[in-house]
Amino acid sequence: MRKRIYGIETEYGLLIKDTEFKLDPAQVADRLKDHIFRSSKAGVLDQHYRANDEPPGNGGFLLNAGRIYLDMGHLEYASPECSTLTDLVTYDRAGDTLIQDAVDELGWRDSIGIIKNNVDLETNATFGCHENYLVSRGFPFDEKESLKLLAAFLVTRQIYCGAGRIGGCDPHPLRDWENPSAKEQEKQVDFQISQRADHIPNESYRWVQYNRAIVNTKDEPLADPSKYRRIHLLVGDSNMSEFATAMKMGTTTLILELMEEGIANPEWILAESVEAMRSISRDQNFKWEVTLRNGRHTTALELQMDMMQTAKKHLTGKNQETDWIINEWASLLNDIPKGPEALIGRVDWATKYWMLNDFRKEENLDWHDPWLKSLDLEYHNINKDSGLYWSLEGTGDAVRKTSDEAIDYAKTTAPRGTRADGRGEFVKILMNMNNKPLYLIDWIGFRFGKNEEPFLMLDPFSSYKNKIRDYLAESEKNEALRFKSPTKESAS
Amino acid sequence: MVMNDPLRREEKKDPTPDRKESGPSSPNVERPGRDDILKRMKRVDPKQSENYKQRTGQ
Repeated sequence: MRKRIYGIETEYGLLIKDTEFKLDPAQVADRLKDHIFRSSKAGVLDQHYRANDEPPGNGGFLLNAGRIYLDMGHLEYASPECSTLTDLVTYDRAGDTLIQDAVDELGWRDSIGIIKNNVDLETNATFGCHENYLVSRGFPFDEKESLKLLAAFLVTRQIYCGAGRIGGCDPHPLRDWENPSAKEQEKQVDFQISQRADHIPNESYRWVQYNRAIVNTKDEPLADPSKYRRIHLLVGDSNMSEFATAMKMGTTTLILELMEEGIANPEWILAESVEAMRSISRDQNFKWEVTLRNGRHTTALELQMDMMQTAKKHLTGKNQETDWIINEWASLLNDIPKGPEALIGRVDWATKYWMLNDFRKEENLDWHDPWLKSLDLEYHNINKDSGLYWSLEGTGDAVRKTSDEAIDYAKTTAPRGTRADGRGEFVKILMNMNNKPLYLIDWIGFRFGKNEEPFLMLDPFSSYKNKIRDYLAESEKNEALRFKSPTKESAS
Repeated sequence: MVMNDPLRREEKKDPTPDRKESGPSSPNVERPGRDDILKRMKRVDPKQSENYKQRTGQ
């Protein structure tokens, strides 16, 4: 495939900071969602069930063609389909901003913190950041060898994609059929580079809540299934750094392209990918040693370096975005051996580690002091007045991939280059109608009024804008005819 | 990179000193903004993590 489509879904955590606050987190999430659609008028709420636990009004599509909804007690934002990394980062940030704006408009800025992370450090609950990549139907995803290759990349990319966390957890037995009492207690760790590593017990599997896997194999293309496949990954952390988000998605798409072209090297396959995921994340010395299936001992850094060199050899010059990813990938890998401080503003775990370690020394705290857990959370607060990450933007140390002006624009305007453009247009038309007819919107199309024929958007690269206008005009005409028909019937 | 809209340009900033030089292995106390970050960190409620209480999602 030549063209790319990226998407990202974020489940937000919700911290009630004001102990006198009357609502619980689930109630706050519901109020925020309602405010975004009913008061901010950022989109249209669903009129129909999407699932048993997604009744009408549970969420809806936005003017920017993304989606905000409640999922398992979490407020969730799904970006629209984006054709470039810059768009992706911009629309990811637009979701954060829509939600923080709602917090502010409800007067909750000091009472509520929206936390863009993936773990509750007290209860070990976890919630995700899902990545979506469009590939062709011919992508070799049904071959075990391919899943292992992709796993080798995903396990080792955490050295620059991880968001970092204090401590560790053993939330469930490694696999649900294992006896937890027979399992040796996990050694306590001070700091891990990944939020999700402790919560991923399988190499490949299709479930998303329990028995999560490094490679999620769910096959739900949300496009013409004869042509496309959607690679849906849940192993990654939510990133605060725009640069880290771009690198996470950018390097992954290059690996998928190497796999699609049959260039990815089977020698990269790890002996035990789940074990390596955890041992890399928990390595307090940042050596990240791994064993390959072929028996060779190496490190995550060396493996990533080989992957980057392969991408450089085969994909350089393909387009400007590809060259940007390869150059920045090489730069990151070259800087990693210099230590966390050389990665500040580009790698979340390193930035957080630097902040927490500095503070810990300043205040003479142990790594397991509750204050550090609270600071870990605050790193991910999307409120720019208090969230720790934002202090880096203030000093220019956060490497950016978009701008505040673009993010503001992206709150209410869909990206171009994909069908999101058409969906955004449809949402806008709906919102401008005084008397909204019945509608049903989904990622792959919509139904409108009493028109029995759904409008399908199976080609994710087409905007469908003109066809949508024609469809709506036809629907209105049919509506008008239908309006006249009862008179004829009553006369007969 | 293909720019779809003039508003969505990458923000060009000068690279920070750390990106061009060998990174020190211990925190640089002279790092710009360090004091502001520490002040921000000291304002955080040390016990707020106990109030997070999230449900497992996906």
